[in-house]
Amino acid sequence: MKIRTSEYFIREVFFSLKRNNWMSVASIATVAVSLFILGMFLIIVMNMNRMASSLESQVQISVYLKEDISKQDVKDLQDDLQNMQGIASVTFVGKEKAMERFKERLGDQKFLLDALGDTNPLPDSFEVTVKQPELVKTAAAAISNYSGVESAKYGQDVVEHLFDITRLIRIFGLALMAVLAGATLFIISNTIRLTVFARRKEIAIMKYVGATDWFIRWPFLLEGIVLGCGGGIIAALALRSAYGMIAAKIYNTLAYFPLIPTYPFLNYISLTILLSGMIIGALGSTISLKRFLKA
Amino acid sequence: MIHMKNVCKTYENGAVALDHVSIDIAKGEFVFLVGASGAGKSTFIKMLLREVLPSEGVLQINGHDVVHMPHGEVPYLRRGLGVIFQDYRLLPDKTVFENIAFAMQVIEAPRRLLQRSVNAVLDVVGLRDKYKCFPNQLSGGEQQRVAIARAIVNDPAIVIADEPTGNLDPETSWGIMDIFKRINTAGTTIVMATHDKTIVDTMKKRVIAIEDGRIVRDEARGVYGYEN
Ligand SMILES: Nc1ncnc2c1ncn2[C@@H]1O[C@H](COP(=O)(O)OP(=O)(O)OP(=O)(O)O)[C@@H](O)[C@H]1O
Ligand SMILES: [Mg+2]
Repeated sequence: MKIRTSEYFIREVFFSLKRNNWMSVASIATVAVSLFILGMFLIIVMNMNRMASSLESQVQISVYLKEDISKQDVKDLQDDLQNMQGIASVTFVGKEKAMERFKERLGDQKFLLDALGDTNPLPDSFEVTVKQPELVKTAAAAISNYSGVESAKYGQDVVEHLFDITRLIRIFGLALMAVLAGATLFIISNTIRLTVFARRKEIAIMKYVGATDWFIRWPFLLEGIVLGCGGGIIAALALRSAYGMIAAKIYNTLAYFPLIPTYPFLNYISLTILLSGMIIGALGSTISLKRFLKA
Repeated sequence: MIHMKNVCKTYENGAVALDHVSIDIAKGEFVFLVGASGAGKSTFIKMLLREVLPSEGVLQINGHDVVHMPHGEVPYLRRGLGVIFQDYRLLPDKTVFENIAFAMQVIEAPRRLLQRSVNAVLDVVGLRDKYKCFPNQLSGGEQQRVAIARAIVNDPAIVIADEPTGNLDPETSWGIMDIFKRINTAGTTIVMATHDKTIVDTMKKRVIAIEDGRIVRDEARGVYGYEN
């Protein structure tokens, strides 16, 4: 594209935005709201995903050993587990240690254990962590098949629930995103249609004197992109400050909450939002122009 | 220059607008297209501009195969054609100068030529002093002259006009015809559909008469041949 031509296009876009000022403002606002909600869902889904996997990676497999196992067998088993694929660490927890922890956990109600006298019903165990969260399930299953292992357990319920919720939010979010993207597309293509309509005589003359389709298309495409981009910028700025505020609140009250750190995460989100805005804008004007460029 | 062989046009509703039309128009000719209302003159003109496609037949213009050309080639066909309508079709929010310059800008003609070319065609149509006016400040005849200037500013090989004097009084019409004559003398082919008997009879140019979509007469120095 020649420099002079792009100058012409930019002027065209500017005048057209001015001519349609209310429609332009309305479409930028709609795009901004839609993209904001879109971005919010993106942020929520990504955080949920992260939370689920961080919980899962923290999940330990407790491997309870049989009562009659010999010291040597324990040693061998520990070596075996350590050599298993995907295992990060294997820590031995003797029954005395387990009892100590149990007492600690009971706190004030330690006296409940008095009834046991000197007997310790707790088994020896290993605490096993895995390298990847997906491995928890299979590792636990494999470990429970070893001889000398009574059972291998992990907090599967919590993790699976969390994944269920994330999946639900993701589906709902996707559906909402599709609806919002559709609405945004609709309003942008309507705005551009107004512009096209206001300039139908010009377009007709352009075609008669031999302007190419792309020459005719560019100003409208640019206008759509400007509308989408404008809405995107507003949405991105709003998202940044909203996430910043929410993050600060959460850190104050729930310090351990595994929120995705603001940077560079917010930059990626902003970029995604901006790009979506531009793509939706370009699509919207393409739709409006299609009919006009047929003949 | 223009080669038509057995061209037919049937519209979607079944109306037959052109029926096996075969014609050759050479470079530099001045051709009147005459015929009653609904005979198919405008269809003929639109076909030259590739606004409508022939349903059948061969149509070649300036070396373009109009029937089989890809969509992307259409603009380049049109750059070789200057078109003028009965209703002028000027852009009301652009001045005379801008209206003419627009035709150059949108085909990305070199900018350094702009001023000179627009002034040159303004001289041809005799409106140099009105270049700043807006269309609504001009008479019908003046507006049509601006439209002619716009049609020839890119130096087309063929000028195509559909009833260019249809809205003008006889005197003004003659002014328009004088311009056409001058353009034609300079080597441009002219195809003009018209209902104006006096003009056709006086000019003594080639006349192609259409009736119900068929060519019924083609004379080198013809007359209108109908009573209006
Ligand atoms: N877009 C169209 N769809 C269907 N039929 C059409 C269309 N345009 C023209 N026709 C028909 O084709 C025939 C020729 O029309 P055309 O406009 O070419 O006539 P014309 O010679 O230019 O008439 P006039 O002198 O009134 O301008 C007419 O019967 C008309 O009804
Ligand atoms: Mg007609």
